[in-house]
Amino acid sequence: MYDLVIRNARVVDGTGAPAFAGEVAVKDGRIAALGPKVEGQARAEMDAGGKAVAPGFIDPHTHFDVQLLWDGAAKPSLEHGVTSIIPGNCSLSMAPLRAGDRPAVIGMFQQIEELPPEAFTLAFDWTWEDWEGYRRALEKGLAINVAPLVGHSVIRVWVMGPEANQRAARPDEIAAMQGVLRQCLEAGAIGLSTSFVDVDENARPVPSRFAQFAELDALCAVLGEFGRMLQIVPEFYDADITIARIDQLAELSLKHGIPTTYSPVFDNRQTPASVDRILNRSAEQFARGARVWPQMQTRPIDISFSLLRPSLFFARLPRWVRVLRQPLEARIASLTDPETVARMVEDAGPDGGERLMGRLVVRGGGEAPAHLAGKTLKEIADARGQSCALALIEVSLEHGLDVAFLSANGGHDNTDRIGPLLARPDVHIGAGDGGAHLASFATYGDTGYLFSEFVRGTGALTLEQAVAKITGETAAIWGLKDRGLLKPGHAADIVVFDPDRIARGEERPVFDMPGDGMRYTRDSVGVEAVLVNGELAWTPAGYTDAKAGRICEMAG
Amino acid sequence: MTLTVQRRFVTPEPDETLEALAARALPGVALDEAMDRIRGWNLHIFAMRKPRGLLLGGDVVFVEPPLS
Repeated sequence: MYDLVIRNARVVDGTGAPAFAGEVAVKDGRIAALGPKVEGQARAEMDAGGKAVAPGFIDPHTHFDVQLLWDGAAKPSLEHGVTSIIPGNCSLSMAPLRAGDRPAVIGMFQQIEELPPEAFTLAFDWTWEDWEGYRRALEKGLAINVAPLVGHSVIRVWVMGPEANQRAARPDEIAAMQGVLRQCLEAGAIGLSTSFVDVDENARPVPSRFAQFAELDALCAVLGEFGRMLQIVPEFYDADITIARIDQLAELSLKHGIPTTYSPVFDNRQTPASVDRILNRSAEQFARGARVWPQMQTRPIDISFSLLRPSLFFARLPRWVRVLRQPLEARIASLTDPETVARMVEDAGPDGGERLMGRLVVRGGGEAPAHLAGKTLKEIADARGQSCALALIEVSLEHGLDVAFLSANGGHDNTDRIGPLLARPDVHIGAGDGGAHLASFATYGDTGYLFSEFVRGTGALTLEQAVAKITGETAAIWGLKDRGLLKPGHAADIVVFDPDRIARGEERPVFDMPGDGMRYTRDSVGVEAVLVNGELAWTPAGYTDAKAGRICEMAG
Repeated sequence: MTLTVQRRFVTPEPDETLEALAARALPGVALDEAMDRIRGWNLHIFAMRKPRGLLLGGDVVFVEPPLS
C-alpha cells in the first residue's frame, strides 16, 4: 500500500520530457510509481486538480547557513516550491569555526548577508566548532533538504587564525587546509566555495582572496578525491576578469575531474557584449571537457534601502557603511556632523554621487512625504541645489531616516534578452542568493519569476524546460543523489503548482528575524502544495509540522 | 578544441610587490613604464580597490591592454 497517491496531475518529471496527465505514488519518502494510472491502494490521496506536479525545485546558491539554525524551512523558500537548497556559498559557512574566531566570521556574514547581530546571539545555541557538529545542529529541525558547501574563508581562518586575511599560506598551512576540507567533505559538506570579490565589515577583502592559485589548486585536489563542486564568485562586473576566472576554473576542472560553477552572470545594456563573451568562453571550455557552469539568476536586482540600516547599496563606500552600522542615536549624530557628512559626500565620488545615486527613486517609507515618491534623487537634489549624496542624507534626516530609495535594474536590465540566455543548455539557473542581502531586496521567488516571465511571458522556455532547469539538471550538475526527478526510487520531493498562475508575490518588509530584525520577502503565488521526502510540508494554509528535510547525499 | 585568444594575465607571487610583478611580467620594459602599464590595465586593483593597489594572492593581473 502506498502512503500517498497524487491523482489528476499534469506530471512534469524534471527530465524535460513532455508533461502527461497521470498519477504519482509515494511510499516511505520516495517516489514509488508514476504513470497515466497508478494501480493500488494508498493511505491518502491528493487531487491535483489538473495542476502541474513536478520535482521540488533546487536552489543552488543560498546563504541560509545561519537562518536554518532557527528556521528549518528556510522560509519563505519552501513555500515557493524549493525543497533543496545549497548554502555555504561565496567562501562563507558556519563551520569549521573555533569559538574564538566567531566574531570575525560574524562580521563577514553581517556585511555580506546583512544579518542582524541578534541572529548569532538570540536564536540558537552555538555549540559546535567542526563540520560534524554543525551538521548535527542543522539536522535537529530541517523541513527542507540541505546540501551545504564549506567556505574557503572559514577554512583559512581555522588554519591561519587572524592572519587569514593578511597573507599567503605556507605549504604546511595549505596541507592543513586540505586535511580540514577532507574532514568536512567526509562529514557531509558537498563542495567548496570561494570568493574573489567579497569584503568584510571593515571593507577588507575576505580571507579567500589572499589565497594563491596554488592554494586553491591544492584544495581542488581534495575536491577531486570526492568529485565535488567548486563554487566561486568572480569579479562579475568585468568580462575580462570573469573570463580569466573561467580559464582558471577550467584548468582546475580538467586537472582534478571536478565540476565548477561561477556566479553571478548579469546582462545589462551598459556592457551588452559581456554576457556573450563570458558564456562563449564557458562553451569553449566545455568543449575541451571542462565543467565550468555559469549561474544566472532570473530576476534583476532591485535594491531598496533607507538610512535606517546598512545596505548592500553602500558596499563600496566604507565611510557610509561605518556610519550606517552605528546605533540609531550615534548614526544620526554622525549624519548631522558637517565634517562626517563632507567625508561621506567625498566618498560618493567627485560628482557628489550623481553617477552612483542620481537615478535612485524615492519609493516611499513610513515618514516620506507623498510628493517625493517616484522622484529621482537627481531631481530632488537639483531642486534643493545640493549634491545627490548630500540630498540623500538631508532628505532622510528630515523624515526620521525612514525614506526608502530604490536602485532598480541592477544586474539584468533587459528581460527580453534574459529568457534565451536562461534557456541555453550550458547555463545553470541559480545565483538567487536566498537568505542574503536581507535589508536590500527579497531573494525569494526566483522560481516563480522564471515561470511568469519566461514561460508564460516571453515564451523563451517551455514549462518542461523550465522545470528541468531547476530540478533534474541542477541535481545532475551538483551530483545530488536521487533528487530532482519524479522517478521511482528518487526522493519524494514534490511541488504542485498552477502553471497559469505561478509567480512571485510583491516585495514587502517583514520583521521576523531575531531581535525583530527586518528583511524583505515575497509570498508565493500559484504554489498549491510542497512535499519534502514524502511529507506534506506546506500548503496555502501554511507550514505543517513536518520536519522531513535531510542533509542531501551525493551520487557516486 | 582551440581556445580563442583572451587577455593575458598573471597572478601575484607571495608578498610580491608591484615593482617585482611588473619586472616579472614585462621584462623588456623600463620599470617605471612597466609599473604604469600594469596600473593602467588593472583598475580593479589600482583604482577601485580600497586600499588602492593592495595586491592579493588571488588577483588576476592583466599584462596587456584590453583586446580590441
